[in-house]
Amino acid sequence: MKNCDQFRDMFEAYALGALDAAERLGLEAHLATGCKDCAKAVEEARWLVSQLAYLAPESAPSDMLKGRLMQTVRAEALQAAKQSAATKPAIPLWLWAGVAALFLFSVFSARNAEQLRKDIRTTNERAAAILKERQGLEAQLETAKREAMILTDPASVNIALASSDPQSPQLEAKWHSKLGIVLTGQKIPAPSGNRVLQLWLIPKTPGGKPIPSLTLRPDAEGKFVLLVSNPPELMAQTKALAITEEPEGGSPQPTTTPRWVGGVS
Amino acid sequence: MFLAALLPTANHEVSPDAMLVHCLLQKDVSAFEQLYDRHSRIVYGLLLRILQQAGTAEEVAQDVFLQLWRNAAQYDESRGPFVPWLLTLARNRALDTLRLKSERQRRREDQTEEMPPVVAVPQYEKELDEKRRAEKVRALMGSLNAQQKKAIELAYFEGLSHTEIAAALKEPLGTVKSWIRNGLLRLKEGLQATT
Repeated sequence: MKNCDQFRDMFEAYALGALDAAERLGLEAHLATGCKDCAKAVEEARWLVSQLAYLAPESAPSDMLKGRLMQTVRAEALQAAKQSAATKPAIPLWLWAGVAALFLFSVFSARNAEQLRKDIRTTNERAAAILKERQGLEAQLETAKREAMILTDPASVNIALASSDPQSPQLEAKWHSKLGIVLTGQKIPAPSGNRVLQLWLIPKTPGGKPIPSLTLRPDAEGKFVLLVSNPPELMAQTKALAITEEPEGGSPQPTTTPRWVGGVS
Repeated sequence: MFLAALLPTANHEVSPDAMLVHCLLQKDVSAFEQLYDRHSRIVYGLLLRILQQAGTAEEVAQDVFLQLWRNAAQYDESRGPFVPWLLTLARNRALDTLRLKSERQRRREDQTEEMPPVVAVPQYEKELDEKRRAEKVRALMGSLNAQQKKAIELAYFEGLSHTEIAAALKEPLGTVKSWIRNGLLRLKEGLQATT
């Protein structure tokens, strides 16, 4: 503070710019040491000196001055705006990066979704095939069980179908009034071409026409088992069963002479 | 700088001038026009008083306002009020102009972008409108004796040093120093008494 005392009377004159060079340099050297008290005093003295401006009467400059200034300022503002627009991309890079990432994610997601759809479709197809296979097996099982029940039930009626050809083996049928007819044969020669064997029910009614039933073809060893779950006629009204050879798909009425015939007792 | 312009400081509230100067940073032409309309009369009056020529005063006024427009970032609202800062800038530019001898030298010097030093508001300062402030300052200065007032005006408006003023008034250097210091202290006390 002792050092500051020698400058205490100079602050206003310094702010005014009235100090001679030696005094001014001395004060400035002191301020350069970082004396906060003197620096603050100088700043306040500058404010005090600035108040002297009010001694000058206010005066309006010409309109031309404002016109020139505004023209310059507008031109520089426009130029600054153009430079700013030129240096700044319309869409910032980080936004482009975001869009690119989103695009890649969308493509990846779309491919993933498509693969997922394929997997689901394949799985569904496999499930449907397995279900179909199961249903087929169940149907086969149901058929086999029904055939077994017809073949083993004492209530079933045995029907032997004799062939018109003495060389040809005999067919056997069992008819259960509620479960249907099971027709079996072994070593049966296959019909020629695509022709099939067709079962007929011969009614007891005099002059009644043969009633068509299912068709069959023996396997490679000449075996077959034919189940007729719902015979087209009641056993009591049927006189005999007959087998003819018919075109593929069967016929509404026999087109050939029966190769096997067996009476229903 | 942004927060400094918008948040009240310990000594004073954020002024409309500080807000407008902040807008200059965004090259806001409207803010510039408002600042010009608010302060061009006091600035031009000061320049005319120092330079005594309307053409030169307008030329310097143009430089002062363009310097404000181009270097608004150099004004720090947290370090002091705007108007004294602008007036100090204008006075410095005018005195520089006054001291130069040739037109070519003056133009070259005008291109410098030196900004005024920090101007701090003392604690006794209160917000006064421009008209009341001018009346107060003139009344206080009017109460000084003629020689004392003349010495201060020579220093402020013509940029003369103590020695130059003593020579101009043909008075002892110590007397001139006392006049100036005592006159300014009286002005300071007068402004303090206003509050």
